[in-house]
Amino acid sequence: MAPFPLSRAQRPEGAAGGKAKQLPPARTSSRQPCERVAAAPGFRVRVAAVAEGGAGAARLGDTMALRWWWWRWCGAPSRRAPALGSLPRLRPPGPGCRSPPPPAPGAAVCHFTQRSSTFSFPKICNIFWRCSKTASDEKYQDPFQLGRKDLKNLYEDIKKELLVSTVELKEMCDYYFDGKGKAFRPMIVVLMARACNIHHNNSREVQASQRSVAIIAEMIHTASLVHDDVIDDANSRRGKMTVNQIWGERKAVLAGDFILSAASLALARIGNTTIISVLTQVIEDLVRGEFLQLGSKENENERFAHYLEKTFKKTASLIANSCKAVSILGCPDPKVHEIAYQYGKNVGIAFQLIDDVLDFTSCADHLGKPAAADLKLGLATGPVLFACRQFPEMNAMIMRRFSKPGDVERARKYVLQSDGVQQTTYLAQRYCHEATREISKLRPSPEREALIQLTEMVLMRDK
Amino acid sequence: MSHLCSCSKTASDEKYQDPFQLGRKDLKNLYEDIKKELLVSTVELKEMCDYYFDGKGKAFRPMIVVLMARACNIHHNNSREVQASQRSVAIIAEMIHTASLVHDDVIDDANSRRGKMTVNQIWGERKAVLAGDFILSAASLALARIGNTTIISVLTQVIEDLVRGEFLQLGSKENENERFAHYLEKTFKKTASLIANSCKAVSILGCPDPKVHEIAYQYGKNVGIAFQLIDDVLDFTSCADHLGKPAAADLKLGLATGPVLFACRQFPEMNAMIMRRFSKPGDVERARKYVLQSDGVQQTTYLAQRYCHEATREISKLRPSPEREALIQLTEMVLMRDK
Repeated sequence: MAPFPLSRAQRPEGAAGGKAKQLPPARTSSRQPCERVAAAPGFRVRVAAVAEGGAGAARLGDTMALRWWWWRWCGAPSRRAPALGSLPRLRPPGPGCRSPPPPAPGAAVCHFTQRSSTFSFPKICNIFWRCSKTASDEKYQDPFQLGRKDLKNLYEDIKKELLVSTVELKEMCDYYFDGKGKAFRPMIVVLMARACNIHHNNSREVQASQRSVAIIAEMIHTASLVHDDVIDDANSRRGKMTVNQIWGERKAVLAGDFILSAASLALARIGNTTIISVLTQVIEDLVRGEFLQLGSKENENERFAHYLEKTFKKTASLIANSCKAVSILGCPDPKVHEIAYQYGKNVGIAFQLIDDVLDFTSCADHLGKPAAADLKLGLATGPVLFACRQFPEMNAMIMRRFSKPGDVERARKYVLQSDGVQQTTYLAQRYCHEATREISKLRPSPEREALIQLTEMVLMRDK
Repeated sequence: MSHLCSCSKTASDEKYQDPFQLGRKDLKNLYEDIKKELLVSTVELKEMCDYYFDGKGKAFRPMIVVLMARACNIHHNNSREVQASQRSVAIIAEMIHTASLVHDDVIDDANSRRGKMTVNQIWGERKAVLAGDFILSAASLALARIGNTTIISVLTQVIEDLVRGEFLQLGSKENENERFAHYLEKTFKKTASLIANSCKAVSILGCPDPKVHEIAYQYGKNVGIAFQLIDDVLDFTSCADHLGKPAAADLKLGLATGPVLFACRQFPEMNAMIMRRFSKPGDVERARKYVLQSDGVQQTTYLAQRYCHEATREISKLRPSPEREALIQLTEMVLMRDK
C-alpha cells in the first residue's frame, strides 16, 4: 500500500492546476516490482514538459520534481507523515552488508535494497536472473553483457591516454582505472550508441568516435572525482583510500589536471566541434555543480530546487551530454538527440538520488566509502530536505551545515524516523519512469531494452 | 616603459614603437572580457576567479599573441585588423595561463604572486583548486566556441604540456648532462609551449601558409624559453619586493634552474645539494652563494640572448611591419626586464 499518493477525492482542486497529465500506463511487466508503489489509482503527477535540451532543461531540475515537492507538502492540507502503520512492510538489507541498521517500524530502509548482489562489473548475472524471471531471455538481456565487448578494453585504452614516464605519477593516474569501478557511465554511453545506431539504420556497430566518447566521459568523471576528493578532503572511495590520502593533496591536484588534459586531447582528436562543445559543457557543469554544493540557500523552497540543480550539474550532465554526443554521432535526427539527452538526464538524476539514499541506508563497508558522508560534508540531500518538512527543527542544523557536535547524528536519526528516504526513492522512480518513457520512443532493440533494464538497476542498487 | 625608449635612442620613432602601445587597443578590454567568461553568482567565488584578472599582471602573453596576429595578417594580405577569433585566442591563452598559476601555487604552496597573496593563501587550498578548474573550464568553453578543430587541438596541447611540465618539475635527473636537457624540456612545457602554440594558433587563423605557422611557432618558442631563463636569473639577482614574489623561490622549491646548473660545473660540491633538492638546512643559502660566486647568471643570460636572437631571426622572415618590429623589440624587453 503506497504511503503517499492521495486519492482523487482527497486531493484539493487546483493544487497543481493547469495541465496535470495522467501518467502513461505503468509497464505491466513484472520486471518492475517498484510499480506496485507507483501506480496507485487516481494519482496524478504533472510530468515535466521537457523544453529545450542543454542547460535549460536542467532548470531547477524539472517541473516534475518541484511540483511533486509542492504537492506533497503544500497542496495537501495539513499533511504530516503518514501514520506509521500505513507504511509498506520494508525488508531489511540483504546479507551483503555486515552490520545493517535494525529496521524500526516504518524505518526508511529502502524496499529496493533487499538484493544483496553487488553491482560490480564482473558479477552481473545474479541481478538479472531475478529481475528477468518472467521475461524471455532473448528479449531482455543483461546490459553489462551487451556492452561488455565494447568496454572490455576501456580501462586499458584509458591508461594508454595517460602515458607518463614517472612510476609514481603513473600509479596515481591509473589508480582509479583499475576496472573495479562500476563502469556505469561508459556502459550507458555504449548502449545508447548502439540503440541510436540501430534506430537510424539498423547498424549495431559502435563507431570509433562513439567509443571515444565513452572513454572521454569516464576520464572526465574520474578527474572530477580526484579533485572533489581534494576539495572535500575525502579519505576513501571505491573501497580504497583516495589519491589525496595516499600521495597528498598537491599531487592529487596535478593528477586530476593531467587526466583532464588527456581527456581534452582525446576530445580534440575526435575533430567534431559539436561533440567538443557538448562535452566541454560537461566540464563546466561539473565545476559549477561543485560551486553550488559549496553554497547554500536559506529559503526552504529554494533549497530543493538548488539541490536538483546541483544534482543535474554534478551527476546528470555528464551522462546526459555523453548520451547526446553519441546520438549525434550515430543519427542525424535532432529528436533522437533530445531523447538520448533526456534519458541520460533522468537516469543521472535518479542515480544521484539513490546515491543520496544509500548514504543513509547502507553501511560503510558495503558502500566502499564512508556512510553519512554527505551530512559530515554539511550537505542537505534529498532525504534530509524531505525529513525537514516533518521535523522543522532540522532547519537550524541545515543552515549551519551540521557543524555543531552531535548535529550529524541527530540529523541522521530524524531522517531515519521520517519518510525522507522513501520520498527520495519514490522521486528517483519517477525519474526512471521518465527515462524509460523517453527511450521507448526509439526503435526496439536489445540495447533499448537494456537501457530500460538499467533504470531498474539504478533503483535497485545497494552500493 | 620609459627605460625601454631609452634603449632605442638611435632609432627613428616611427619605425620602433613601444610594443605595448601597439597592442594596447586590442587588449584594452581583455580583462573585462575574461571576467565576462567567468560569470559566477556567488560573490566569494567571483572574487576568487577575478583575482588575477585585475589588469595588473604583465599581460605579456596576450601582447605577443595580438602582435603576432597582426604581423601574420599583414604578411598575408596587408590587413592590420585582428580577427575576433584571434583575439579569442589571446583571451583563452591568458585564462589557461592563469588557471595553471592558481593550481601551481597550490601544488607549490606559494604565498605570494604579483605583489599580493595567492588565491590559496587567502581562500584556502581547496577553493583554489576549484577556482583553477573553473577558469580552465571557461577557457575550454571559449575554445570550443571558436569552432575550429585545428585551433582546438593546438591549444589543448598547451593544457597537456603545462601539466606535463609540472610533472617534470616534480621529478629530477641524476646524470648532469641529462639535467640540463630535462631543465630545457621543463622550461618549454611550462612556459614556452603556451606562447609558441598561441602564436601558431593566430598565424593559422590569419594566414594559410604553413611556413608562416612554423615561423610564428618558432618565434613563440624561443621567446618563451628566453623569458623563463631570465625569470630564473632574476630569482637570484633581484630582491623580493621588486619581483612581486619571494626571491630564491626556486631553490626553496628544490629546483635546480639554469644558474644553478651552470654553477655546478664550477662547484661540483653542489651536486649533492641538487640531488637532495636543497632540503637540508642551510642548503638554500649555500647554493645561492655558490651561484653568485660563479658565472651561472651570466651563462644563463647569454643563453637567453641566443634564444632571443633566434626568435628575431625567425620573425624577420615575415613582411616588414610595425608589429614585426615590435615583436623584435619584445625580445629585447625580455632580456632587459627586471621583474
